[in-house]
Amino acid sequence: MGPSGKKDDSGLSTTHMLHIVFYFQVHQPYRLRPYSVLDIGQNLNFFDEDLNRAVIRKVGEKCYLPANQLIKELIERYEGAFKVAYSITGVVIEQFRAYYPEVLDSFKELARTGCVEFLGETYYHSLAFQFDKAEFLSQIRMHRKLMMDEFGFRPVVFRNTELIYQDQLADSLEEEEGFQVILAEGAEKILKWRSPLYAYRTYNHRFFLLLKYYSLADDIAFRFSNRAWSEFPLTTEKFIYWLSKLSLVEKGRRNLFVNLFMDYETFGEHQWKETGIFEFMRHLPEKVFDSPNLSFAWPSDVPQMMDYSPEALSYPQPVSWADTERDLSAWLENDLQFNACETYYEILSEIQSRGRSDLLEIARKLSTSDHFYYMCTKYFQDGDVHKYFSPYQSPEQAYMFYMNALAGLRERL
Amino acid sequence: MKVLLLTWEFPPFISGGMGMACYGLIKALLSMGVEVDLVLPTTEDVYFPLRSVGDTETLPMDYLDPTQKNKPLPSRELALVERLRLVGLPVFPDSYATPALRQGFDKTMEEVIRSLQRGLARDLDSVRLSLESGGEIFKKSQVFAGRLAQYARRLQCDVIHVHDWLTYPAGILLKVLMGRPLVAHMHATEFDRAGGVGDERIHHIEYAGLTAADRVIAVSQYTAQMIIDRYRTDPGKIRVVHNAFSISKMSEKKQRIFKEPLVLFLGRITLQKGPDYFVEVAKRVLAHRSDVRFVVAGSGDMFSKIIKGTAARRLKDRVLFTGFLNRDQVEEILTSTDIFVLPSVSEPFGIVPLEAMAYGAVAIISKQSGVSEVIHNAYRVDFWDIEKTAEIILDLLKDPKKRKEMARLGQEEVMKIEWDQAAKKMIQVYQQLTCST
Repeated sequence: MGPSGKKDDSGLSTTHMLHIVFYFQVHQPYRLRPYSVLDIGQNLNFFDEDLNRAVIRKVGEKCYLPANQLIKELIERYEGAFKVAYSITGVVIEQFRAYYPEVLDSFKELARTGCVEFLGETYYHSLAFQFDKAEFLSQIRMHRKLMMDEFGFRPVVFRNTELIYQDQLADSLEEEEGFQVILAEGAEKILKWRSPLYAYRTYNHRFFLLLKYYSLADDIAFRFSNRAWSEFPLTTEKFIYWLSKLSLVEKGRRNLFVNLFMDYETFGEHQWKETGIFEFMRHLPEKVFDSPNLSFAWPSDVPQMMDYSPEALSYPQPVSWADTERDLSAWLENDLQFNACETYYEILSEIQSRGRSDLLEIARKLSTSDHFYYMCTKYFQDGDVHKYFSPYQSPEQAYMFYMNALAGLRERL
Repeated sequence: MKVLLLTWEFPPFISGGMGMACYGLIKALLSMGVEVDLVLPTTEDVYFPLRSVGDTETLPMDYLDPTQKNKPLPSRELALVERLRLVGLPVFPDSYATPALRQGFDKTMEEVIRSLQRGLARDLDSVRLSLESGGEIFKKSQVFAGRLAQYARRLQCDVIHVHDWLTYPAGILLKVLMGRPLVAHMHATEFDRAGGVGDERIHHIEYAGLTAADRVIAVSQYTAQMIIDRYRTDPGKIRVVHNAFSISKMSEKKQRIFKEPLVLFLGRITLQKGPDYFVEVAKRVLAHRSDVRFVVAGSGDMFSKIIKGTAARRLKDRVLFTGFLNRDQVEEILTSTDIFVLPSVSEPFGIVPLEAMAYGAVAIISKQSGVSEVIHNAYRVDFWDIEKTAEIILDLLKDPKKRKEMARLGQEEVMKIEWDQAAKKMIQVYQQLTCST
């Protein structure tokens, strides 16, 4: 753990460290094809294989492969002092296997360096926690097994779909052994006067909480190439300057964590290669190591690094990382979404209670939160983002195909 | 006998019943030896000279202008849809214009106006004003009329037969320019389409067309009455010619999509067709039993409202949607339908219930429809009476025997309805007009 550029022995007292915690979300849903009422009697081919393959190939080409290559180079150059964490869903790994095995191989290579951490989440990137606690835990177990099988890694850090977190989740997660840390959004409505730079505890004191520092994370993920942004262009130097300033909030010696959580597709897909996003990342570690009180950490480092007793923080309502509301409204706000979700969990429990394991896998692919995201009708500022991600012409159309698929499932019961 | 027949839609590109009605009628006319020169809203100056029944499937085409005869036409080797696309026939005919299509265009078309002013009085002037004031759809109607006016002296026919308002301006012009009798067919008035009053400019055009026509064909008694009430058209020149239906195949056995019975709404999802009543009926039925599926088939301006309405009522996956269906898909879903509901607020005729019955479905039809005049083995209900409709469906679900018997009677009855009957009436009309002129 002796990072090359570090100057701990310089004589200048490093009162405390600001640890940069990168976590990248890797996920792609199984998008539905225009599944029609007339298909119901005929087939259960819900998914648009051509489209899903095309997306995996495209994003693999533009993002996953080059970004993994870069991360690997940085890990090797700094001999492990550069640290990142990934949360990779089960559904995206299945699709890598089917459509782009080289991408999965490159993640395995990263795993072999021993310098990346893998987080636990629901296998299907689902909203199961809101509807079915048993299913929630099953999907977490499936995902843990997958992480072990693919990467030989046992996650100790948990992040729920879309960073959705509320107090009861900490209670549910107690039933699953081995988790120590949960990631959540650093929303002002929860933090109030507090800073997201400190680690916290869940309201039941069972887990550490790390909170996304969303303004800085979103500077990279959303605003990096935005020419209308007053801080454009975002250089590595500028970013490091902001980070150094942050560390001033601590007057004592307590460790700080700046949690930069974002979609991995930020690199090369949301922000194209031409924007310089890869170069930004390539130069970040050297600048970090040049700064006396900056370093990188994994989320799982936090318990060992705790040099203070964290305060417990309560999330009485669900908080997510999506849209300006940072709540569930991207997936569960309008009638289309509620009717679809409620019907889904009704059918899922039918399938489970009747022991129809032949239908379970295909049914679970319908639990992915993206299906409900496409039905979002908040067509204001956030609507643009929803539209960008949706393969359908309208929320109504997304709903129509989804409900037909549910009816197709029910028909097989 | 040669008829110059103008219509806005014809299979394979149809958006409503008018296309299928023209198809069935023309086929029967051809089988009785009538020659039909069909004109559609193509962008190229072509028409379709139909001489034998088979021509309705292949649609042979030719240029309106004989001097263009050397210009190559789309090769007959090509598939029909491809040939139609090459001459610019819209895949989704705008016979039922959305409000957006009616707005925003303000340009005159000299030729039409000049022709229109040739001695014709106030009615025609109002047509001109309506066309000029209108949006995209009026412009299309205007272009269509302008083109036919341009070629009027070269066209030959015994009778001009126009279908619905979009072709009326052309019909009036041709009558003047060719000196031939005009038959105006009314498949739907603006009052029906709008489910209320509708667009005043279209009223003017419909009024002018009906007034200029030597004979007016109403698709039902209901429509004849509407024409008389709304436009004060001389009842003496109105003839009622009921529609029939054409289906491509007769399946002996019902197909199934669901194990449970299927109740179908099929039509444009728009105020006129009453899809909102259908959803209310579904809600009432589903409150009593869940072993039934409701399907809303079609597209239209109320799609979003209706689909959100079913979600708001939490009707789960018991009410499903199909979006727009092509003709083959329409027949496929009809073969799987057990109960067909036509809750139209105002339906001049309504061919689909006949098709559904031919495929063995029990029909529940709005009393405010033309089709209710021609069939007896179906339930007739006021479109607004959701309680009654729900009661009938629940009763049919409870008693499958009764459902089967009703379906059988209905099937037997509709099989006697044929386009030949309609064609014979049309030929009589043509003959009367050609003898007297």
